[in-house]
Amino acid sequence: MPENSTVEQVTVTIDGVHVRVPKGTLLVEAAKQIQREIPVYCYHPKMGPAGLCRICLVEIEGMPKLQIACNTPATDGMIVHTESGKAAEGRRAVLELYLVNHPLDCPICDKGGECDLQDYAMAYGQGASRVADPKASKPKAVDLGPTIVLDEERCVVCQRCVRFDDIITGDRQLVLKDRGVRDIIATATGDPYHHNFTGNVTELCPVGALTSKTYRFKSRPWDLKRVQTSCTQCAVGCQQFVDTRVGAVQRTMSLEHDDAISDSWLCDRGRYNVGFYKDERRIVQPLYKQDGEFVQIGWDDAFALWAKAIREAQPGSVGAIGGGRLTNEEAYLLQDVFRKAGVRNLDWRAGRQRQASPGKNGGSLLALEQVDAIVEIGESPAERAPVMDLRIRKAVSRRGAKLIRVNSYESKPPSAIACTDVATIDDAIAALPPHAKRVALVWDGVDLALGKRALDAIPVGLETFAYITGEQGNARGAEAMGVHPAFGPGYASVPECGRDIDGMIADARSGKMRVLSIFGANPALHYPDGPAIAEALEKTPFVVVSELFMTQTAKAATLVLPAKGAYEKDGTTTNLAGDVLPVNAASGLEGAENALSDLEMLIGLAQALGVALPSSDELEAAVIGHLARAAESFAFGDAAFGTPRAPASDEPGLRVLVQSSIFAGGGTIAHDDRLAELEPLPEAAISVGDAKALGVEMGDYVDLHSGDRVMHDLLVEVRANVPRGTVVLIGGLPDDPANALGADAVATITNVRNALAAASGDLAGVGA
Amino acid sequence: MPIVQVLTAGIGEADLRDIAVYRQRGGYKQFERALRELKPADVAQLCDASGLRGRGGAGFPTGKKWSFLPKNDSPRYLVCNCDEAEPGTFKDHMLLEETPHLVLEGMLLGAYGIGSHHAFIYIRGEFKRGYQIFMDALNQARQAGLVGKNLFGTGFDLEVTVHRGAGAYICGEETALLNSLEGKRGEPRLKPPFPAVAGLYGMPTVVNNVETLAYLVPILEKGAEWFASVGTERSKGYKIVSVSGHVQKPGNYEMALGTTVREIIEIAGGLRAGRKLMAVQPGGGSSACLFEEHLDLPYDYESVAKAGSMLGSGAFLVMDDTTDFVKAAYNLVRFFAHESCGQCTPCREGGHWLETVLERFVHGNGLRDDLDMLHKVSHQITGLNLCALGDSIEPFLASVLDRFPEQFQARVVRAPQDALAKDTVPA
Amino acid sequence: MNAPNPPGEFADLYAQLRPQCDAIVAQYEDPRSALLPIVHLFQEHEGYVSHGATRAAAELLDLTPAVVESTVSFYTLFFRKPVGKYVLQVCRGLACTIDGADDIMAYFREKLGIGHLQTTGDGLFSYEEVECLAACDKPTCMQVNLEFVYSLTPQMIDEMIEAMRAGTYAVAPMAQTVQPGPTWSVGQDGQVSLGGKSSGGQDVSNPNNAGGLDKSGIIMLDRLILQEPRFRGRTRERLANADPDIRQVIEE
Repeated sequence: MPENSTVEQVTVTIDGVHVRVPKGTLLVEAAKQIQREIPVYCYHPKMGPAGLCRICLVEIEGMPKLQIACNTPATDGMIVHTESGKAAEGRRAVLELYLVNHPLDCPICDKGGECDLQDYAMAYGQGASRVADPKASKPKAVDLGPTIVLDEERCVVCQRCVRFDDIITGDRQLVLKDRGVRDIIATATGDPYHHNFTGNVTELCPVGALTSKTYRFKSRPWDLKRVQTSCTQCAVGCQQFVDTRVGAVQRTMSLEHDDAISDSWLCDRGRYNVGFYKDERRIVQPLYKQDGEFVQIGWDDAFALWAKAIREAQPGSVGAIGGGRLTNEEAYLLQDVFRKAGVRNLDWRAGRQRQASPGKNGGSLLALEQVDAIVEIGESPAERAPVMDLRIRKAVSRRGAKLIRVNSYESKPPSAIACTDVATIDDAIAALPPHAKRVALVWDGVDLALGKRALDAIPVGLETFAYITGEQGNARGAEAMGVHPAFGPGYASVPECGRDIDGMIADARSGKMRVLSIFGANPALHYPDGPAIAEALEKTPFVVVSELFMTQTAKAATLVLPAKGAYEKDGTTTNLAGDVLPVNAASGLEGAENALSDLEMLIGLAQALGVALPSSDELEAAVIGHLARAAESFAFGDAAFGTPRAPASDEPGLRVLVQSSIFAGGGTIAHDDRLAELEPLPEAAISVGDAKALGVEMGDYVDLHSGDRVMHDLLVEVRANVPRGTVVLIGGLPDDPANALGADAVATITNVRNALAAASGDLAGVGA
Repeated sequence: MPIVQVLTAGIGEADLRDIAVYRQRGGYKQFERALRELKPADVAQLCDASGLRGRGGAGFPTGKKWSFLPKNDSPRYLVCNCDEAEPGTFKDHMLLEETPHLVLEGMLLGAYGIGSHHAFIYIRGEFKRGYQIFMDALNQARQAGLVGKNLFGTGFDLEVTVHRGAGAYICGEETALLNSLEGKRGEPRLKPPFPAVAGLYGMPTVVNNVETLAYLVPILEKGAEWFASVGTERSKGYKIVSVSGHVQKPGNYEMALGTTVREIIEIAGGLRAGRKLMAVQPGGGSSACLFEEHLDLPYDYESVAKAGSMLGSGAFLVMDDTTDFVKAAYNLVRFFAHESCGQCTPCREGGHWLETVLERFVHGNGLRDDLDMLHKVSHQITGLNLCALGDSIEPFLASVLDRFPEQFQARVVRAPQDALAKDTVPA
Repeated sequence: MNAPNPPGEFADLYAQLRPQCDAIVAQYEDPRSALLPIVHLFQEHEGYVSHGATRAAAELLDLTPAVVESTVSFYTLFFRKPVGKYVLQVCRGLACTIDGADDIMAYFREKLGIGHLQTTGDGLFSYEEVECLAACDKPTCMQVNLEFVYSLTPQMIDEMIEAMRAGTYAVAPMAQTVQPGPTWSVGQDGQVSLGGKSSGGQDVSNPNNAGGLDKSGIIMLDRLILQEPRFRGRTRERLANADPDIRQVIEE
């Protein structure tokens, strides 16, 4: 609690040790300061006391009954005993009752070895049981949803999972049902437990009741090799542990004290999308396209072919795209090697996002909790930066911030937290609470003009914290490293601007681009104008793609280079708040022995081109130095980031908006079989008003037409929070790319098919 | 016979559900007088001076409970607890059905006394008839200008909302009741904060029992001294005692606190012919038994507590020598296990464990070690829980285990291996 | 097994009850307080708390269906499955028990041919043994559709059952929109079997029970992982659960 410096300090004595803590500190927390562990099941530092498990009993002098340490604030002069005979007897008594019905299946329980019940029973319990009667028999493997399995017998009803869904996410899907000894954890009848954060309950569960489907019966905790790293699936950069065994990632876990970045939570993408590392579809050898067929070649040949193509082309007809999924070091080297080879056409912006750093107004993730209002512009951060969205929910539901969304939209029904939806930035400013002193602006980084208008509109005198949620994990790092046509490293100006991605694609379509090198990016799926990028890739004679999988872009390449993933390399990444975070290779991963990191590829290319390389010390110094200087001079929508893309046309029809989904994507998600069932169906979301006007209903199937282009069989979603006159498509679905209709498409709905007719066929049996 | 008729006056003689009848007997005069002549603080002062203690079970001084409210103008609520479900108690049920206007007037006085403009009554779900009767009474009162805005032209607004429970004993616990009133599971809340600070909707709230509030009416009418002049030193005034079990005339009897156990049994017609008194449970299912040697014990909070039990809600269950105390113990333990909200592990798991063991005893399948275990486990559950429900298991069980060990020993099985069910897997 | 109401069936009733619901909500400072009264109201008209009723209450009070179910499941007077036209709830409190309630309950069981928490095959009677009903001065007591009957005797029971069968009993029958199953207890369907008490088979139509135990008691460890995906993306699951008619009512 940062603001507690002025709070009165009290001294409490715990087991004879004096502890000085701010007034109001709970005994359970005060004890931690002297490394005294008071056992807890229901208490959790992020959720506060619940007072249910009764295991944290302590003796307080002057109080006749044992007190629970989780809900007793330390007061001056309080004398607490955690190990006295009375306290030990109370704990023993409670523990015995825990074991009345808890099954002793520890040998086959995933939690065995890291189970709080097991540990406390060892530490505080009695050896023998007095229970003569059979234990309660309950379902052992309840399918709660796509990710989680519940063992009702093991559940000790601490309600941490229920409180997580209530207090932390606000989704309120997991609840307690029935009463007393029949209490069970459950969802609404017929509903799966499914939101973006379900996996956290497996960590909160003090016993082996809630387990991840992906980890069940996979490993004993003591057999795992653990490495701490940063998740790079989005730009939040949550710190996590990667636990490996037998050459594969078995699970990922959050860090208990990662207050600054993740607040100790992980989203389900970051937690569960780790199966792709061992997917058999991974590219294992460089592939060279000859007569339309890929053939495997060696790395030496690959570098030689690549360098030759670049050498033979005019530098102006060579371009490099990507960097947002690379490490800072890789991004730096990317621009360094290409710039030294005379190439100026560099851009990390392979998708819709146009700007990554909020510049002088940038705020830390912690600062989000201290604002009075949060204004979301463009796409909601819910699917782009899920764990940051949790912090927004925290600011709103527990710290009283007001959430204002400007024409924002998201793939969920209106979220569990209160928000004010407005149509324009002016309305948003008018809706700011009168007492507001600090405001957070959360922008998706797509529409430069909108971003600029929003920042300009904030009244003078309000402290503003700005955030760009973005599309790629290290977009901010790539931008700061100068993978940009207008900036060098550290946002240094360049003598002559290169072509940005729009320019490169235009050049390529007119036959002027000879070599395109694409690093860790899939523009064929994510660039807003699908037909244009397809034509550009086709008309460019030599396209090099570094990838883990045969993505839509890789398929169009001449040379495909097998790359390492984030858990397979070392380096640093920059998150959306500008924090530089470590990327560490997990222990002993197998499956891509012949792949190289993009850093290694760039070194190979540099050597083949005869370009001088920085030493590793120089590289490190350059990265840190340039990041430290990262631009204080610009703001949202600054002209330096280019001209805004063409505004929507005035043609009649529905303007196409693209919505991210953490479970959609053509790369790691599409190549993780275990998560296939989480991939959303292609849908077209429209407003209630448009649905009525167009005569379509929730669940209808429709086609979407724009000019001569068409998308087939989209499921209609009617949602209150879709702006009138727009249709929202899910971006990144490999088979139904949202960019298929072209840039800034205006579409019309055709071929409406009735929901019930469709349901009787394809949907029969689902949820019946 | 020391029976009195204060709250029970007129019951069985007149149709007190009719507001005209009630008013003709002086009804609502006290509320009108309070509004016109007294300040809220005067009502609170009368309540405090009368020595009235909570009649729902805890016996906490009502005036003191009110005094914990913040001394400011913040909105606050009065909640009348009519979730009567303590085994053996049936007085609120009677008051609600027989004299609903008295209950309402008590609520109105209570709300005025604490400065609340919105009072609630939480009626046990099973009292469907009582609910309808009270709703009728409320509508009559509303039409008569006794509930609503600007009452008697004094500018005082008072709304009353009737809320029906839906089957949960634990909702009689005041914080569980507030949760239930808020549309939540009836789970007791973690305290602090106490309801007087943060109760209904997080605002200061007083929860009082039906009988407690009803006594405000005669206290207003006859004065605090009148009420305080009867009873014992610390247990003042009158109490409705719900006498049931093995007596000739079970029923609700109103009397001064301090009437002896023997007198109460006599009031209720005495034991059945030829029967011998074995035990009296003096304060509902949560209380330990009194026995023959307690016949001359004054029935007041202190004396009953001193005898190792409690007066509770005034449920007075008489058991003669036909009583199977093993079955009785099982019955009450099963009740508490069934009604445990399940939040706290000791209550949830311990209650069910004891129920399982006692069920075996009922079927003659007790184990020798169980006798000691029943004692120890019921004791170890006690004092460890968030609310008092878990603490309610031990008193009766322990008292009959101590008093009638032979009844339990007789149910100990000779071949222990036969006692336990073998197959727990659903077929 | 009783399928949830087909979509739309509750919507009509809901539209009809909506003004009453609104009036109830208006009584409270916080709309959620109206949950119990509204569920009472729905149950009065449907005879139990249907899937549709749960969803309607959730939408009306801006709660999730899970929260509504959680709350409803706490209270024993809310029936989560259809019950008989006459719900016979006999008091098993201590005062009644020491006065011979066991004999009365045995008489009921034999007479009706059903046990605790069960419903007769003709859907006429549901029988439950309930906690103290607060009428201890008139044992053995019971409630018929929540109306008290005091001081029961076998003869009274005979007459009562006869009158109910003949349709002449003085208490109004429960609404019955769906034919009841053999029990209305969710717990009795096998979600929880306590202390060796048999609990019947698994209700596999309830997704919460998927997986579970196999008959021999051996845990099928990987059944869940091996089985076909149960749910696709959120669109499909929401489509499956959405009640278009309710949505429409609310949108209008």
